[in-house]
Order: sequence, then structure tokens, then C-alpha cells
Amino acid sequence: MNKRIFIRRSSDNGKSLVQSFTIEARPEFTVLDALFTVQHQHDPSLAFRCSCRVGMCGTCGVQVNGVSRLACKTRLNQIEENDVFLSPLPHFKVIRDLAVSLAPFFEQWKKVLPRLRPRDADAEELAIIPATSAYAEHSEGKRDCLTCGLCFAACGVLATSQQYLGPAAINKALLRVLDPRDTAKSERLEVVNCSRDGVWRCHTQFNCVTVCPKGIDLTDSIGFFKRNLLFKGGSLDS
Amino acid sequence: MTPPRILFRTYVVPLVGMTAFWIQRVTGLLLLFYLLIHVETVHHISGGQAAFDGAMATFHNPFFRLLEIGLLLVVILHALNGVRIIIIDAGVRSKHHRKLFWALAVIGGLAIFIAGALPMFLNSVVRR
Amino acid sequence: MSRNAFAWYMQRITGALLVPLLIAHFWVEHFMSKELLRGDLTYTAILARISNPAWQAIDISFLLVALYHGLNGFYNILLDYGKIGRRGANVALTLIVAVGVAWAVWGVLAFHNL
Repeated sequence: MNKRIFIRRSSDNGKSLVQSFTIEARPEFTVLDALFTVQHQHDPSLAFRCSCRVGMCGTCGVQVNGVSRLACKTRLNQIEENDVFLSPLPHFKVIRDLAVSLAPFFEQWKKVLPRLRPRDADAEELAIIPATSAYAEHSEGKRDCLTCGLCFAACGVLATSQQYLGPAAINKALLRVLDPRDTAKSERLEVVNCSRDGVWRCHTQFNCVTVCPKGIDLTDSIGFFKRNLLFKGGSLDS
Repeated sequence: MTPPRILFRTYVVPLVGMTAFWIQRVTGLLLLFYLLIHVETVHHISGGQAAFDGAMATFHNPFFRLLEIGLLLVVILHALNGVRIIIIDAGVRSKHHRKLFWALAVIGGLAIFIAGALPMFLNSVVRR
Repeated sequence: MSRNAFAWYMQRITGALLVPLLIAHFWVEHFMSKELLRGDLTYTAILARISNPAWQAIDISFLLVALYHGLNGFYNILLDYGKIGRRGANVALTLIVAVGVAWAVWGVLAFHNL
């Protein structure tokens, strides 16, 4: 099967250009396979990022026909059109071709203090989390975040306001705040509750949920924060 | 969980929430602009009968009658979308939001639009 | 409840209030009498209703709720464009409140000769 791949590439003068390549694609090819084929058969200078190739590291995010996807988790035969258009993730600085710097994503990620601040860092005993607790319920399915930045790229609020925390950081904050071992709740809640950058900026567009390669219900995390900040002053005690 | 199959070029279809967001934003701005015109017209009530009927005379023609039905559509889009947002904010999980969108769009929108627009159209445009 | 939470919550509350108010408003202006059904929204057709203080109270509260909802929505759109900055947001909020007050007075004064 012949497939035409259009790739938005950077050039020396700072402007981007689109190049097309025709490759012989096997039916099981993913977008990442296609990128490697282009690199091997057409242009070894093509730059893109990848690591694990099996959808568990979150390195190979690209825009596939306008939608943020992991290149290794998108098969060419999933794409309805004949042509495939690949461009770097938006809202990030392009390093070269399809490789972007995820720095803005991790700037926001750091703002919610993603590291656990345990009550007793040297605890010998294991903490017991009841399966019925809010933490157990939410962490099921929400702890799988790869920090791939696809939600950051797809979010419509971030398109115009880069100060917004973004879905992944808020989801991380939720997991930390609900964690019974954690002691930095109030600092995190203050960041999340900010009117211009925090959860109140979310417009429930569901773009993040649509593109998340792990199927994390990010809008639900944001909504959970909103409801609890509203009625319980953010205590989130269940 | 498998991510939803994406129809790429027509990606508006899976990105229902984004479509709803744009509908809400555009209709919201239109309604705010309409409120400005509306208050301007209504303000002529204080000038008495001649002033108010004079101000309203501009709008007594089929063009504005049709525009008024358009206004009804804009109001319904904004209101139903708002109801959808309130339901989602109340805690309905995201996996239902697409169904919610289409249910409200098809059932609510169509029913209210026909119930409101059809009588308006028949009485104020056709039977004049 | 923080100020941010309150603003967000009020947008939902006013939105929910606007639905019945709007249906009522639409009904009384388009369906209540034969003239109105024909679309002849004239002074005489609405005089009886608007000179009733109860209806005036409903109309005025409708205006205030709609203004809050609309202008708060507009402020939110401005916030979405993060480039206005923290000071810009405060200036915008002050301007919007001023416009809102003027707008409300302008609307309420419609009834002052009845």
C-alpha cells in the first residue's frame, strides 16, 4: 500500500515548510513506523522524538491530521483520508522538524508541586489506602499519565493563555491532594484555585479527554476540583 | 481503555466538546450584542407611545421577523448548551458528554425551535 | 467559597435563572395576545403589562441577571486571552463593571415615565 506522508519541517531561515514523501506502507504500520521509513529511505535528516515505541513513555507526540496523537499508538489504517499530514505539537517551541520542547508543559507541571510530600519520609510501615476511599477511586485510571503533553497541545484554553495550568498538571495535583500521606495540600490548592490560571479557566471542551492516549478522564479531575473548592473550601475530605 | 477512533479530517465530530464551546462563545457574544440593541429600543418606552412605536417601526418587516426567529435559534443553542454545561459540572462523567450533547441538540433544540419558530413564522411572516 | 469559586458558581446560577425568565419573556412578548402573536409589538399592546409594578420587577431582575451573566461571560473571554496580564484583567474588570452599571440604569430608566 502506497501512502503519502506530508511533514511540516523547520528550515534554516526559521520558517516551516511542508514536504511530502510516498512510502510503501505495510498494513500494520503506525505513524512512527512511517516516520522511520521516511528517515531510512528518503531523508536521514528528518527529526522526531521517540523512545519506547509501545505507547508507555509519551515521547512521540505529534499532530496527525490536526489531532494530537502518539505516533506509535496511531496506525495508518486508522486514518480515514488517503493523505497523512504530520506537524509538531502546537503550543510548544519547535526544536527541529517534529521535535518540540515540552518545557512549557513541565513549567506548569512543577507549579502544582508534583512530588509527594509525605508526613513521614522515613516511614517503615506501608500506608493503607482503603479501596473505597476517594484517592483509590480517582487514582484508578488517573495515575497512568505519561506526561506526553498531548492534552496540553489539544487544550483550547492553552491556545490563547499559556499561563493556564493545563489538564495533566491539574490531574496530578488531584492525585497528590487526595493522597492521605501528603502534607502539601494547601499549597497545591492555592495554585489550582487561581482565577486566571487554575481550574476555573477550564471550559469543559473535552479535547484533553479525547486525545489522552491513556484514556484519562481529565475533565472529571478538573470538575472534581471545582465542585470541592466550591462547597468544601477545597478540603477534599471524603 | 481504547481511545476513541478518530475520523481525522472531520475531527470536529469527535471533538464535540470543542464544537459546543464555540457555539456557546459565539452565541454568547451575539446575545450580549442583542441585549445592547434591545435595551436601546426598550428605552424608548420612557419617551411615550410615539417614540416607542417609532423606534419599533424599523423592525416591523419580514426581514426582521425572520431575524427574530434566528434570535430564537441563537437563544436555544446557548440555553441548551448552558444546561449541558451545568449537568457536566454537576458531575456527569466525560464518557457520557457526547450522548448528552446530541440528546439535547436533537430532542430539545428541535422541539422548542419548532414549537416557537413555527407559530412565529406562520403568524408574523406568512399571514400578513 | 473563594472569590473565584463564587464567580464561577454565579455564572451557573444566573444561567439557570435565565432559562425560566427567558421562556416567560418570550411567551409574554410573542404569544400572550393576538397582536403580539402577529408580531405587532406596539406601545398599546404592551402598556398594560409594563405599567404593572410586578412585571416591572420581573423585567428589571431579568435585565440585571442577564447583564451579570453576559458581562461576566465577556470578562471570562478576556481572561482566556492571557496576554492582558494581571493588571490588564483588573482594568478590564473595572471597565466592565462601570459599563454594566450604566447599562442597567439605562434599561431601568425605560420605565420611569409610566
